[in-house]
Amino acid sequence: MLFWLGCGLLAVFAAVAVLAPVLAPHNSRLPTGRPLAPPTRDHLLGTNDLGQDVLSQVIFGARSTLTVAGVVTGVSTALGWLVGLVAGFVRWTEAPLMAGTDLLLALPNLPLTLLVLTLLGASQRNLIAVLALLSWPAFARIVRGVVLQTRSAAFVEASRALGAPDLHIIRRHVLPATLDVLPTKLVLTVRFAIFAEATLAFLGVGGNGAMGWGGMLYWAFSDPLLFLRPGWPWLVLPPTLATAALVVATVWIGSGLAPVRPSAGRPAGR
Amino acid sequence: MRPDLGRLLARYLLLGVGVLLLNFLIPRLLPGNPLSFSGGEGTDAAVPLSGAARAQLRAYYNLDEPLRLQFVRYLGDLGRGDLGWSIARPAPVREVILDRLPWTVALLLAALLFAAVVGTTLGVVAGWMPGGIRDRLLVSTAGALAAIPEFLIAIGLLLVFAVELGLFPLFGGRTVFADRDFGATGVARHAADVVWHLTLPAAALVLVNASGFLLLARDATVGVRHAPWLTAARAKGLRERDVARRHAVPNIALPLLTFFGLRLGAVLGGALVIERVFGVPGLGLLGYEAIRARDYPVLQALFLVSSVGVLAANLLMEIAYLRLACHRGQTRG
Repeated sequence: MLFWLGCGLLAVFAAVAVLAPVLAPHNSRLPTGRPLAPPTRDHLLGTNDLGQDVLSQVIFGARSTLTVAGVVTGVSTALGWLVGLVAGFVRWTEAPLMAGTDLLLALPNLPLTLLVLTLLGASQRNLIAVLALLSWPAFARIVRGVVLQTRSAAFVEASRALGAPDLHIIRRHVLPATLDVLPTKLVLTVRFAIFAEATLAFLGVGGNGAMGWGGMLYWAFSDPLLFLRPGWPWLVLPPTLATAALVVATVWIGSGLAPVRPSAGRPAGR
Repeated sequence: MRPDLGRLLARYLLLGVGVLLLNFLIPRLLPGNPLSFSGGEGTDAAVPLSGAARAQLRAYYNLDEPLRLQFVRYLGDLGRGDLGWSIARPAPVREVILDRLPWTVALLLAALLFAAVVGTTLGVVAGWMPGGIRDRLLVSTAGALAAIPEFLIAIGLLLVFAVELGLFPLFGGRTVFADRDFGATGVARHAADVVWHLTLPAAALVLVNASGFLLLARDATVGVRHAPWLTAARAKGLRERDVARRHAVPNIALPLLTFFGLRLGAVLGGALVIERVFGVPGLGLLGYEAIRARDYPVLQALFLVSSVGVLAANLLMEIAYLRLACHRGQTRG
């Protein structure tokens, strides 16, 4: 039930992202009204300090957030899979690959991300790259565990005894086994990416190009007098609620999937 | 236990070396270098430098040495506690960091302690009668809290308790322009002021992190609920509450301790973000300011200090785990 509700909510967000140019009443980058105006018929959620329409920004923000979430999840999953498979199959790569995985798992993510993003220059592309490169280790570990487990299972042994080549065993037995954990990994990583994108944009490393909801909050909080302005709820609440709703959608979807307990005991999304 | 401890130390030594290597290599391997402000050769550069001048600068900063030698130099500097100079402030990075560190550590420790106590207690309450109304209520609340990013929870608290109700300050770690009289009352008032300022950020951190403890403690409690030694404790005539507190909790403490350690990195990240929301002058706000000012040395030191801190805390945690597990193993045969 919740699973389908979550899917529906996510679909709505995706539709908003795709149809943003049609749905948005104004150009989200241009000042189209009086600065810091409360909601009017023309600007349903008011305007920000530059006179940009908040509703249009929220609508276009869905684009930015979902793009980051989608690409990060894809790349991170592919990387984690690859590393896990290789580490599980090719003996001599196991030690160095797992050492790197351990290192990335042990470090606090945020300071590392901030350092790399500031050095590279804040932009959406760099943000995606850094998040993707930091979020694969937990999944790599799980995949490796599954590979090791499957490799020593009796039916694989039997298959090998029948003379099946390695490639056949990988394709027919090991890959399907790793597929079981895939949906959970996808949902957790989508959630992680949404969290991380919003957080990093809020801290000011989201780049100036495509503004997401975290970026809107960043600009709102850059105003030292924010809470003295009568219209502050219109600057703070829309991006906050949009982010929360999207995250809740992923949680609902995740609640419909079989739980996976990563061996490291931390969320598999990291 | 000895070989375990040895292997543990070796593993953490390796991780520590990894952190140092990362911290050393990241600025050097990423595109751009300290001289790229002059934008290549020739007259179109922002700050035109002749080739000879560039070479001189490179030599002055030892950038022309092979990486191996630079790394040795870097280790030497670290050994002397030299983290370089801040770009944005007229102070050594070490001082800037040390200035901010107590705030973050205080916030983290207070929040983690509360989160652990509150989360574990509620978790045991929930797990004692799984499927009951309390269990379902607590678990769904914890799930909802875990689903919201830290900074959104922080913003929510800020809006309700500071902006609307006006119970707590909006910003900062202490009252600016407050009288600083010294002596016992002054110190006490100052401490109370700091606590008042840190209450909301700490509460946000507790809300975020207690849910993890709650869910884990609940599962562990469900696991041990029907253990024979609990039946024995009940048979002694202990009240149900004492059975939980004196017999169940100590036995589920170990997985919780591990969880504590594993979460530390993520908790630290949350604390850094929350500091930005509430303007607590700790490492997180420092990082935010450093991003705005492109203060690379500060960000680098921030990464180094937080990584080493988290690794050290994890190591302590694992040693404690070893000792506890060992101790339990002996007493229970």
